[in-house]
Amino acid sequence: MYEILQHTADVRLRVTASSLEELFADALQGLMAVMHGAPVGGGEETETIELDSVDLTALLVDFLNEALVRAVVRRRGFTGASFASLGETHLSATLTSVPAPSFDEDVKAVTYHEAEVRRSGQGWTTMLVLDI
Amino acid sequence: MRKSDLQRLDDFLWEIPRTYRDDMRVPGRVYTTERMLDQIVRDRSLEQLVNVTALPGIQKYAIAMPDVHEGYGFPIGGVAAVDADDGVISPGGIGYDINCGVRLLRTRKSLADVKNSLRKLAHSIAREVPSGVGRGGALKLKGDDLDRILADGARRAAELGYGDAADLDRIESGGRIDGADPNEVSPAAKGRGHDQLGTIGSGNHFVEIDIVETVFDDEEAARLGLARDGVVMQIHTGSRGLGHQVATDSIRRMMQAMPRYGIRLPDPQLACAPIRSPEGESYLAAMAAAANFAFANRQIITGGIRRAWHHEMGAAEPLDIVYDVAHNIAKVEEHDGRRLVVHRKGATRAFPGQPVLIPGSMGTASYLLVGLPGAMAQSFGSSCHGAGRLMSRTQAKKEIDGHELRERLERMGIIAEAASTKGLVEEAPEAYKDVDEVVGVVARAGIAKKVARLVPVAVIKG
Repeated sequence: MYEILQHTADVRLRVTASSLEELFADALQGLMAVMHGAPVGGGEETETIELDSVDLTALLVDFLNEALVRAVVRRRGFTGASFASLGETHLSATLTSVPAPSFDEDVKAVTYHEAEVRRSGQGWTTMLVLDI
Repeated sequence: MRKSDLQRLDDFLWEIPRTYRDDMRVPGRVYTTERMLDQIVRDRSLEQLVNVTALPGIQKYAIAMPDVHEGYGFPIGGVAAVDADDGVISPGGIGYDINCGVRLLRTRKSLADVKNSLRKLAHSIAREVPSGVGRGGALKLKGDDLDRILADGARRAAELGYGDAADLDRIESGGRIDGADPNEVSPAAKGRGHDQLGTIGSGNHFVEIDIVETVFDDEEAARLGLARDGVVMQIHTGSRGLGHQVATDSIRRMMQAMPRYGIRLPDPQLACAPIRSPEGESYLAAMAAAANFAFANRQIITGGIRRAWHHEMGAAEPLDIVYDVAHNIAKVEEHDGRRLVVHRKGATRAFPGQPVLIPGSMGTASYLLVGLPGAMAQSFGSSCHGAGRLMSRTQAKKEIDGHELRERLERMGIIAEAASTKGLVEEAPEAYKDVDEVVGVVARAGIAKKVARLVPVAVIKG
């Protein structure tokens, strides 16, 4: 799950989940919610993402930024993510998307600021700051 | 951070001493009134300023301008200078909207001349200059058109028919940053920006029609072609999606490179690399290209505004550039005989005699200033860049009624051409600091002098 929190100029998201896969999928859902894409029916597609990053936190931020650029360039709203592999520094994911001809919020980027993927109780959590 | 952690140096300058945290290489300095400092310490801007003081190669002090507010990595309203040979370049010190900036246009008309045409003029500008999230422009780029824009900025836009040589003389750096390399801009960045030339975008970006309400310095105002009651226009936008992606690509690359250079930082968003490294040089070349895209963007928008102006006021009616400044950029400059790279994130260059454009919020005022020698002595030739946010967008949407805001602006004599009520509410006057107080600080600190105060009569935004 994700929550949208206060930030003076931008958007702060707190994401919590019971597994890493769920954390990444929920963070993607949070990003799409902030962008407020207006999906139209039909045209569902799947695509893959392969990424390497310096650590787990960077992997999440880089994953979201890759999804962001694909969404805005191809006007797609991502509706789901499944992970063939998800390690400390590498992921292989399949994303599902539908057409989204417009977005309500211009998210410039997902930043590394305040981001820290860590264990919390039985699950995982992180903060994310989105530049809007 | 608490106010008691700062030391007062004079009426408008406060210092965070190096003893505040072990990793500080230089102190942090904050230009502000005591009243605004009470607001500033409520968010994380000063902690972010302290993080900036840890950058390798940073000189003298990291600076927060009076419009400072919380960002990510650098605070918005931050200035940091590093040695051009031994220092680092941090894309987070420029921000995602590379060369976000402001352009001021002047007319020869007064409010009385345009009053009856104002609504039509605002509507006409809104039609000519697309705004809003993801809105593309009318300019269709072919072949190597985009690369030529990235290489030559506003100069290339002028060659395409959007302006002339006189325009270029009135833009910071002539509207073209040297060293731009289109090949350092990724296909993803080009894909994100290729249809956005000539568009404002959303957020706090706008076109505004203003009246010169007060002239503080007759001589400077005359030099810049402004007179009391004159109609002027401001454009506030940047490099759109192309610049955002250049920053994203570069920060990621530097995150991966930092361990090789033995750089450790308190905030990964400050990711940096030595200026003289493949990553540093690649970023500077890509940043210059994105900055050129932004200069071209404001030049093409100027073309759209001129079409609207000529349509409503007559084809012979001039609309000239006063000046165009960047407020998210890094520049190689000489200070005290040393070559430095000055990072300005939400800060404006303010060299002596140079016009400094400070847009306020849509219901208050904006300022035209001119830089003073004091800026070179105190702030690496830098000034504030706006009023500075006070209220989060979420809070603004919760507290401000869009319908009431539109009515209030109408009562104030301000026409709002906004693509969305949400966009209007997020930028409501009460979401910002008092621009008069912000500008008062840089004026009384001797960084820049006031030339004119501008008040809005029409706002066009996404």
